Amino acid sequence: MIKPLLYAGLPLLMTIGGSAAFADTIKFGVPVPLSGPYASAGIDIANAAKLAAAKINAAGGVLGKQIEIVAEDDTCDAQTGVQAAQKLIDGGIAIATGSYCSGAALPELVAFHRAGIPYVLDAATNPKLTSMGFDDVFRTIGRDDEQGPFAGAYISGYLHAKKAAVIDDNTTYSKGLADNTVAALKKDGVDVVYYDAITPGQMDYSAVLSHVSSLSPDVIYYTGYFSEAGLLAKEAAALHVTAKMMGGDATNDTTLIKTAGPAAEGWTATTAPLPQFLSGAKDFVTDFTKAYNTAPGPYSAYEYDAVSVAAKAIADAGSTDPKAITAALHKIANYQGLTGSITFNSVGDRTIASYITVVVKDGAFAPGMKLDASGAWVPVQQ
Amino acid sequence: MSEFVQLLVAGLTTGSFYALIALGYTMVYGIVRLINFAHGDIFMVGAFIGWTVLSAVAAMHLPWGIGLLIAVLVAMMLTGGIGVIVERFAYQPLLSAPKLSILITALGVSLALENGVLLIFGPRFLTYPHLISNAGFTLAGAQISDVQVGIIVLSFLLMAALYVFVHHTFIGTAMRALAVDRDAARLMGINVERIIQITFFLGSTLAAAAGVMEGLYYTQINFFMGFIVGLRAFTAAVLGGIGNIPGAMAGGLIIGLLEAFSAGYISSRWTDVIVFLVLIGTLVIKPTGLFGERVVERM
Repeated sequence: MIKPLLYAGLPLLMTIGGSAAFADTIKFGVPVPLSGPYASAGIDIANAAKLAAAKINAAGGVLGKQIEIVAEDDTCDAQTGVQAAQKLIDGGIAIATGSYCSGAALPELVAFHRAGIPYVLDAATNPKLTSMGFDDVFRTIGRDDEQGPFAGAYISGYLHAKKAAVIDDNTTYSKGLADNTVAALKKDGVDVVYYDAITPGQMDYSAVLSHVSSLSPDVIYYTGYFSEAGLLAKEAAALHVTAKMMGGDATNDTTLIKTAGPAAEGWTATTAPLPQFLSGAKDFVTDFTKAYNTAPGPYSAYEYDAVSVAAKAIADAGSTDPKAITAALHKIANYQGLTGSITFNSVGDRTIASYITVVVKDGAFAPGMKLDASGAWVPVQQ
Repeated sequence: MSEFVQLLVAGLTTGSFYALIALGYTMVYGIVRLINFAHGDIFMVGAFIGWTVLSAVAAMHLPWGIGLLIAVLVAMMLTGGIGVIVERFAYQPLLSAPKLSILITALGVSLALENGVLLIFGPRFLTYPHLISNAGFTLAGAQISDVQVGIIVLSFLLMAALYVFVHHTFIGTAMRALAVDRDAARLMGINVERIIQITFFLGSTLAAAAGVMEGLYYTQINFFMGFIVGLRAFTAAVLGGIGNIPGAMAGGLIIGLLEAFSAGYISSRWTDVIVFLVLIGTLVIKPTGLFGERVVERM
């Protein structure tokens, strides 16, 4: 348990130092994994939050105060998530903006709700999160029950697959997306020949793959995270698996390509549009790359929007009272974020959430296909 | 038939890794009655040292075969050294202390190693260069890569070398004497501290070899990678009878094969349940493990 403690210490020290120097800051809590296997994704999210705060602060801050980002390590774990949320609450945050794993976000949002603090989620996509009956939970990204049908439509309508295999990794996010995809595939008349889970961190999945391969599916859809996705792509190539390899939005990370090398070519991920493919986010990609020496992660733009929309709500509310912020967030209409126009529906999800596919081509994720308004598949413009 | 062979090869490959790491657990337990929880992380440190050496060697434009050999040997030596340092400073002062103190120290060393690597290399996955090709051959309809064969053969060679070392050299005999009775061994003129250090060195070099092979085969490494593999290897050591060297080898291979066959024929969601049920079942019937002998003192 020293890992979370080690990291918890840093923001804590910063908070103590910070409160002395700038007594008048508005604190935004960012619970994300900063250690453990998903730390890289969490760091990309926390950095995006800091970038958004820096931009708002440079323009004079909110209500005449500076925004301070307090990132807290939740290690993608439910128990650590509760502790992280509690630490943030005790630290006096006005609002929480963050999350990566749905499994950790779920208990966090309960803790925030009890403390009366609104929570704007940027990356946790499980439908349950906004179905708890809480009015102070919002989300800048789409839901798995939107992504699942999109993946199903792509597999049946675009790839014209007859048989599909779906693999998850037993985490809340992964299982939820897999369930939704399987339901969508069955509705579209695709035969789901295999639906099972793998254990993350086990490294060798060739036993699972050779069994799946013997059922000869046209497509294998993996709904877990990028590190195992890279291993699956690599091991499938070694076994000469002919099925098309696909993954959910958590497989959309360059670690997949680095792990699988040439075997990653052709891996298709369903994902919310990446900053690189968003016309409104060009400056963001440049600024992020300059500030952190690495391209933004798949959720960085959603976190940037979460912080920006939260700041807008505080400005609209004219106070940092949580109830007033929550009311202002519900009133947000057509806020132009990096990821498009933001309006929250009654449960706190965005009224318009879109998905696209990205394909690994020449060692990088390239834009793939999307559904246009008429329901036809068209290429994504870069 | 083809699926059976495929699963067999997959199980033997993972089993070889487990067996190599399990040897470290079992040797240390056999001699100092310590469950060295830091051993999984020693394996991880080996993978990182191998990665560092390979990156350095790649800059020198040596033929990759030689680079690989250098990386494996350097990683084995340095990791062995780290194992000895850990033993000297963390465990040796506690050898005569209550067993619980040294066990907690092992957990502390594990966290120190993980977080040390986290601070030095960062939390992101690092990837080994794609040095080895996917080339392979077909046997009974199953795709087998040359690397898998290489891993299995090399692991068996290392295990055989260890077996010969323990049974046919003076130091090996001293190690076995220590395992029977430390005080009696000391009275016979055996340098106990020295032999314990050699044991840690050997266990760590085997783990490092497994670490570098794992890095080369699966390409991705992370400071967290020692945890799950270490847990499985520890299970393998217990299944085979902790303290017993052939037991650790057999235990590793059995766990690997169980994993592969249960994932292939039953359900991969149930793999862990099946593996640990077999462990519990074995221990209920034979509490000392498959090859373990009855010992007076147990932790």
